[in-house]
Amino acid sequence: MTIRTCLLVAAILAVSSPELLAQGTDLASQTLGRAYWHVFAAYAIGWIMVLGWVISIARRLVSVERALKGS
Amino acid sequence: MPENRLQRTGIALAALGTLGAVLLLWMVFFWVPTERTLGIAQRIFYVHVPSAWIAFFAFGIVALCSGVYLWLRDERLDMAALAAAEGGMVFCTIMLLTGPLWARVSWGTWWTWEPRLVLTLLLWFVYFSYFLVRNATENPDQGKRFAAVVGIVGVLDIPLIHVSVTWMRSLHPQPVVLRPDGLSLDPDMFITLMVGLATATMLFLGLFLMRYTVECLKREVDQRRTGSRAAQGA
Amino acid sequence: MDYLRVIWTVARKDLLIEMRTRERIAAMGAFVVLVGVLFNYSIDTAIVRPQEIAPGIIWMTIILGGLLGIGRTFHLEEEDGAFSGVLQTPIPLDALYLGKTAANLVILSLVTVLIFLVFGVFFGLSFGSHPFVLLAVVFHALLGFVGLTTLFSAMSARTTMGESLLPVLVFPLLVPMVIFGVSATSRLFAGRPLSEVAGSVRMLGAFAILSVGAGAMLFRHVVEE
Repeated sequence: MTIRTCLLVAAILAVSSPELLAQGTDLASQTLGRAYWHVFAAYAIGWIMVLGWVISIARRLVSVERALKGS
Repeated sequence: MPENRLQRTGIALAALGTLGAVLLLWMVFFWVPTERTLGIAQRIFYVHVPSAWIAFFAFGIVALCSGVYLWLRDERLDMAALAAAEGGMVFCTIMLLTGPLWARVSWGTWWTWEPRLVLTLLLWFVYFSYFLVRNATENPDQGKRFAAVVGIVGVLDIPLIHVSVTWMRSLHPQPVVLRPDGLSLDPDMFITLMVGLATATMLFLGLFLMRYTVECLKREVDQRRTGSRAAQGA
Repeated sequence: MDYLRVIWTVARKDLLIEMRTRERIAAMGAFVVLVGVLFNYSIDTAIVRPQEIAPGIIWMTIILGGLLGIGRTFHLEEEDGAFSGVLQTPIPLDALYLGKTAANLVILSLVTVLIFLVFGVFFGLSFGSHPFVLLAVVFHALLGFVGLTTLFSAMSARTTMGESLLPVLVFPLLVPMVIFGVSATSRLFAGRPLSEVAGSVRMLGAFAILSVGAGAMLFRHVVEE
């Protein structure tokens, strides 16, 4: 079930990123556009850290369930 | 099995949180108005502030569970503290990494000795000590007790650290301030911030429950292993 | 009264051992003098007046030197598992903690006096005109420092990382001590009115009460087996 959740998350990201990129070029043309990469980096960090935790939990869950079935 | 129920609740909350995160992205990039002085970069606010909120909220859970664990010695409290500590560490790291990105635009430098940033940095180190001490003992039960002590001393000292760094900051205002600290929030910005907070809270709670479930199952595996080893020895 | 007698006995024992072996005091004393020498070369006196940064370097030296000595508080008891013997006795564990803390406070106070003397000589410092207030500031800060460090010294002695864990555990919690200690000290050195120092002294007092109180309550969870 957790693998499915991960795949769902990845699919949502894949769908939403083209829209974000398109909007990005419009917004980047504003005067303070040079700071735009800060915003991207901030949200990327947020997603990566949380996804990292999700993946770490999922891996541990899989290994512990395997250990439970084995013993 | 109670673990299954927790697992399902955890997944449900995490999924809700993920949807919330997607909604937040849409709101941040399409809906919320741009802040006048700071422009686009102010949108970091909507990931920075919720992360800070969760980092401290999680630590509150760690401290509470640690305190009651030392009193009642119920393993489940220790497991909850561990799960909360992991989540708190994740969000604390997000806050500390997005902070300089925000500070660079707001104040022109990567790091400012701004009280909230300093307090979060120190909180990060308390979390770090929590894990370090937990894994540095030969006896795992001792490690759990040590970690609980770190959690409790941390929560007692954090308010004092907050007072001291805020007081220090009031004496030495930042020389270059492009925008004063207190952002006056537009109602739309406030709504976006609340969505961010709700998202972060749901994500944290969902993943906290999942992590707690993993820990429960791990303990069960350990118990079965020691049980079978004892049976073999006998 | 028994409780106080236990504290006194533990403190006296540690201080007697320290007086006879002089291990910790010698190391801490040498450390502070040599750090003073290093600090002299790390400051460009053409740009910075030592009197201005003296409070900062004094407090950092107190912390680093203190950590060095207090890290070894439980060293003797850890050798040959002597601590198990101590735990067999019926003494209340928080009294043991308070005795150890008291002994550490005495040792660190002596080292702090040495720091003020040595740095005063090395950098030609003036300590202001309120010695008793300075004493109060230093006493409260040291008490808080020693309270926290003694608790975590017991913890780190029982980990595989030993004393190297101590700075990581303790430094984040010492920020209030540094902030208020340095602020109060620099104002006293600069001859500022005492009203500016009162707040810092109160906060250092709160820090001391918090540290020692938390230490006394949590010590048994750290040392029990």
